Amino acid sequence: MRIRPFEYHTAETIKEALTILEKYGTEIKVIAGGTDLLLAMKQKKILPHHLLNLLEINDLDYINDEPSEIRIGALAKHSYIASHPIIRNEATVLAEATGMIGSWQIRNVATIGGNLCNASPAADSAPPLLALNAKIVIADSKNEKNLPISSFFTGPGTTLLEPDQLLKEIIIPKTKSRRKANAYLKLTRRRGVDLALVGVAFHGELDESGEKLKNVAIAMGGVAPTPIRALEAEAELTDLSYEKAIKKIPIAAKAAVAATQPITDIRATAEYRKDIVDVYVRRTATKVLNILFNKDG
Amino acid sequence: MKIPLTITVNGERYDLEIKPNRTLLDLLREDLGLTGTKKGCGLGECGSCTVLLDGEPVKSCLILALQANGKEVLTIEGLGKGKPDPLQIAFVEKGAVQCGFCTPGMIMTAKALLNKNPQPNDLEIKEAIAGNLCRCTGYNKIVEAIKSCAASTKR
Repeated sequence: MRIRPFEYHTAETIKEALTILEKYGTEIKVIAGGTDLLLAMKQKKILPHHLLNLLEINDLDYINDEPSEIRIGALAKHSYIASHPIIRNEATVLAEATGMIGSWQIRNVATIGGNLCNASPAADSAPPLLALNAKIVIADSKNEKNLPISSFFTGPGTTLLEPDQLLKEIIIPKTKSRRKANAYLKLTRRRGVDLALVGVAFHGELDESGEKLKNVAIAMGGVAPTPIRALEAEAELTDLSYEKAIKKIPIAAKAAVAATQPITDIRATAEYRKDIVDVYVRRTATKVLNILFNKDG
Repeated sequence: MKIPLTITVNGERYDLEIKPNRTLLDLLREDLGLTGTKKGCGLGECGSCTVLLDGEPVKSCLILALQANGKEVLTIEGLGKGKPDPLQIAFVEKGAVQCGFCTPGMIMTAKALLNKNPQPNDLEIKEAIAGNLCRCTGYNKIVEAIKSCAASTKR
């Protein structure tokens, strides 16, 4: 399949990129790794007149470990994130999820910024970032602003980014809790190289006494027009001891299912997706609780 | 409008002018005549177009040639320059080549794996080549061939 002709632009700084975006508005599409965009262009789903390459921007693929947060440049590739010691220790769930995206060859090219901006409801990097209360930094030629990632997605394939804006950075706040744990589970039709039918990220922490669960966060992909949190399910488990929380897991899982609004498509039925949310919330919750309270799972 | 591109392929530097809608795969096959790299699905699924870009395996059908500006590409032709790579010999000896279409991509991914992890176990090999499809389904022999190279690299 051929790619229709377009005009090519490349930027070496963010400032330069923003100037070009401002000039061309809706005529131009941004390309980073390009693994989603080039596919869509080959399939004639997107036919941009102009393309702006971001890959020549220096120093936007970093992972920085700071005292109160981890900062990830939008051009960081999935293979780099998945294998990075700071992410593996501090945001395990994100390392797990980015390590499951596509194939090795795709993870070597595709970027986290691209995964988020492509805004697939099933994007694997989204549930972990939602569960970790990540923020995103959006830049335009005038200023930069920080927003919670929960406000970023507006529908399948759409975000609140304006044509003249760029997603520049992802910020994961570090928790002060001494103990925290999280996990990601992804349902696929085959064991490798597939997109998520359902993705569930579960995060939990221990309170100061070390006896009760707090800051529970459950985020899900592939089960609504955008990746979503299951706030009511989280509330069911908050402030509970290990024994009580374990007993409450099935109720929380049902509450998580109630928060979904999946569709039936070529890959799975809505009913099946709901059943899997129930199972995966129970599995991830059990795993995380057992880690937090040092129980043998 | 054509745009200048500087790229190193198999150790040789090229200064070219190309159209922006050229993929890295088409550049290799059509402009440079390096047809060892295969075009299978063209959609990033099958892995037969795998080459190493700055040492990392990538699918050259899903990368614009211009996005590889300033980078180094290694293809199957570069791997076997002069004498065959141990992986190429192993694929022949172990019967890991059937129709041969997936072989160049498979070998490039395997090469990157062994560069990173000289002693991979079966699972690590299977995970590495998950993005390389063999329609003859000769995976056992392929894994065997890669494994035999892991051992011989050690010696």
